[in-house]
Amino acid sequence: MARVGVFVCFCGANIADFVDVPAVVEEAKKIKEVKYAIDYKYMCSDPGQGMIRDAIVAHRLTSIVVAACSPRMHEKTFRKALSDAGMNPYLLEVANIREHSSWVHQKDKKAATEKSSDLIRMAVAKSMANEQLHEISVPVTKRALVIGGGIAGIQAALDIADARIPVVLVEKSPSIGGKMAQLDETFPTLDCSQCILTPKMVDVASHPYIELLPYSEVLELDGYVGNYKVKIKRKASYVNFDTCTGCGACWQKCPVKVPNEFNMGIDKRKAIYSPFPQAVPNKPVIDAEHCTMLIKGKCGICAKVCEKGSIDYTMQDEIIEREIGAVVVATGYDLWDPKPYEEYGVGRYKDIITSLEFERMVSASGPTGGVPVRPSDGKIPKSVVFIKCVGSRDEAKGIEYCSKICCMYTAKHAMLLHHKVHDSHAYIFYMDIRAAGKGYEEFVKRAQVETAATYLRGRVSKIYKKGDKLMVRGEDAQIGQVVEVEADLVVLATAVYPYKDNSDLARLLGISYDKYGFLSEAHPKLRPVETAKAGIFLAGCTQAPKDIPETVAQASATAAKVCGLFAGDTMLKDPMVSTVNTDYCTGCQNCVTVCPYQAIITEEIPLGHGSKEIRTVAKINEGVCQGCGSCVAICRSMAIDLAGFTDMQIINEIVSI
Amino acid sequence: MNYTKQIQDIAGRLFSEEKIDVFIGYRNTGFDENQVPVLINQYKDVDQLLFTDKSVFNLANYLKYEHTRNKRVGLVVKGCDSRALNLMLTENQVKREKLFIVGIACEGVVDETGGKAQNCVECVMPDAVVFDEMLGTPSGKRDYQENSDIRALDGKSLTGRQEYFEEVFENCIRCNACRHSCPLCYCSNCCIDQETATLYHGANTTSSAFHALMTWSLHLAGRCVDCRNCEKACPSHLPLHLLHKQNEKVIYENFQEHLAGMIQDDRGAFYKYSLSDPDDFIM
Repeated sequence: MARVGVFVCFCGANIADFVDVPAVVEEAKKIKEVKYAIDYKYMCSDPGQGMIRDAIVAHRLTSIVVAACSPRMHEKTFRKALSDAGMNPYLLEVANIREHSSWVHQKDKKAATEKSSDLIRMAVAKSMANEQLHEISVPVTKRALVIGGGIAGIQAALDIADARIPVVLVEKSPSIGGKMAQLDETFPTLDCSQCILTPKMVDVASHPYIELLPYSEVLELDGYVGNYKVKIKRKASYVNFDTCTGCGACWQKCPVKVPNEFNMGIDKRKAIYSPFPQAVPNKPVIDAEHCTMLIKGKCGICAKVCEKGSIDYTMQDEIIEREIGAVVVATGYDLWDPKPYEEYGVGRYKDIITSLEFERMVSASGPTGGVPVRPSDGKIPKSVVFIKCVGSRDEAKGIEYCSKICCMYTAKHAMLLHHKVHDSHAYIFYMDIRAAGKGYEEFVKRAQVETAATYLRGRVSKIYKKGDKLMVRGEDAQIGQVVEVEADLVVLATAVYPYKDNSDLARLLGISYDKYGFLSEAHPKLRPVETAKAGIFLAGCTQAPKDIPETVAQASATAAKVCGLFAGDTMLKDPMVSTVNTDYCTGCQNCVTVCPYQAIITEEIPLGHGSKEIRTVAKINEGVCQGCGSCVAICRSMAIDLAGFTDMQIINEIVSI
Repeated sequence: MNYTKQIQDIAGRLFSEEKIDVFIGYRNTGFDENQVPVLINQYKDVDQLLFTDKSVFNLANYLKYEHTRNKRVGLVVKGCDSRALNLMLTENQVKREKLFIVGIACEGVVDETGGKAQNCVECVMPDAVVFDEMLGTPSGKRDYQENSDIRALDGKSLTGRQEYFEEVFENCIRCNACRHSCPLCYCSNCCIDQETATLYHGANTTSSAFHALMTWSLHLAGRCVDCRNCEKACPSHLPLHLLHKQNEKVIYENFQEHLAGMIQDDRGAFYKYSLSDPDDFIM
């Protein structure tokens, strides 16, 4: 015989002001199965929980209904109270009379009271079909996969590896370092980007717990949290990394010249190359698209000059498999292509460059030795116009969001220009100056004072050529006039855009992404580093535009999440998962297609008892199932039931009112 | 429209080459002009087969029963029937390699009055969309048009519609003929019969019939191909197509002009999860 206890919470004034709590208790007592009902000011407090524990023992209760706030708030608290009293925690039902009743019906106390009673009646009815559930324990493979070797991936890998958890770090290019390696100095302290990054890169290469896979790509991810299997393609580098010493003889002698991606195409690299001097690993790879030996079978100079005989033109792509328990995605960003800004003459005028090209020019290790030059004639520019929000915050031509970092790096660029070319002058067209962050506003002020840069509030409408100068026409909204600035060089602060293959990667991993291709977090405020798929975390600009401090902070946060996941040998998982009644399953596999977590597979079972014929039915992988209920809703033959929300429980609720 | 000769030839050939175990077709009732489905197991019976504009039933329905399970089956399908068959293939109820499908480029069948049936007048795809051999000249896909009965119903007020349906559903005797005649109602344990489904239980009241029919129509939403097998089977002559055509209309308007069973592997509007599905309603 069911013996239900009902505990109604005042929630201070939150519920009690708009719901007649004592009346609700009296109403609850009238329900046949309710053997005990009481109210209290704060049910979630320690004395409140004590009342539940005591009543369970004193009144031999078989299930508990707590009428209080949303179960998202305190379901766990009350479940704990049940288990402390020796009861299965899943025999708890929460009737949400705060969000669902008192808060939304503040103007009608009588109706709110009636609704609260109804909600309790439903919860009691549902609890009649409650079953004892037990947490599922899933074994864990304690190894993490980090995708992307930029600063986010490096930081995440180092933090996880420092906790003595093995890490596989996959980077698609020949060296780790990412975008940060291309930067010169970083705001707001103007410390040299490479000086602070390269020690970390070396740490990655030498860390005993990190397996670095450069020049590799993730092909496939199977499995579920704690038990993923990943397939990684190691692209053929045509260089044996084990014997190569990185002496550089090969790339000095290579006759093929190709635009250098690392320097944004400003200078040339060879067909066998290491992207930059501080590369990790500092071993060259052969660019198969341009190497004449690989294309035509003629040349072979690099093999001749290599003393170690490390060049191997027959090398093939290699598929590596690893078992891992968690994934950190840190694929970073690309610059948005400013082509739609035709009125700026993008693509027509050589002296219009992007911010990252400018960054490479002012870098001491860059193609111009740290001095900005005009791409058209190689002269040093005296008058430089910086245009912010190229693409960002432009619904018509670009994207809606703010790229967040451009205000800061443009101020930095003005400073760097001032440092490198003393008699230069910077003009900055801006919409707003967004400098929220520690020391950021001070940095912008400093840039304005030190460089005496002219900040012009307004958009640029046109750029045209006059002699060898560029005429930049725009609005100065502060004086309400059109202004024209004669420029030697124009730098566009192009928007931060997701890495171009992000959406493909998201599909491969089974996680969601937004309309631009940024990967989606599970909750924008409370779960910003998790994805909706358990065991996959996000770090850095793959999720949204971020600066370096934020990226590093998020990367370390993912490491904390991974370490938390791997804290035990097994992982406990909510028992609210689906089960298939194979007698009812027709094998239509609609559940397989609707499952957002790929948690449903098929299995073959005998057609009937002892039958040799087989039929195909659905099977749920408990480890992957998140209990979302999509399959339950889609199943026409009602073959799938979700523990904790069974058809019987829901029907009981419906019938009770 | 008369393909009797051709179908007899094909069935005869398939039996003599031992390519099939069963052939599903139409034969004369023996007492009037109408036709009934027939399952033929041997060569000597193929002369029973015929196909005219009185071949109204959807033969894909017979693929869900024991008689044809794991057998090599030949069958005749019109445009609408083939769309249902397409869905059965997509939903893994039949195996394509076990079937020999005789597709018809249909010119429309007749209703009880002898005129062209309403669903044939409004048909969007008269040609079989899946077949091994095609009879007749395909005329191609037609434009979707709203059902005239639905348009009339939409003119009524909400209470007017409720009264209309209450009156109509009162005649339901819960015989489940609609379910048995539908090729897409293949579940061995229908949800309506299940222990937990108390909504449909009890005496045969308007309420229980209403819930059962509504559930049934929703389970066919985005899948119903408008073959009207259910209506032909209903002994109470309920206008069941009203439920299906309304669903079809809503889905056509809201889900990228989706029509059921037109392409293989298309599970329909409600049975897909795509990462590009809008999720901005999730907080």
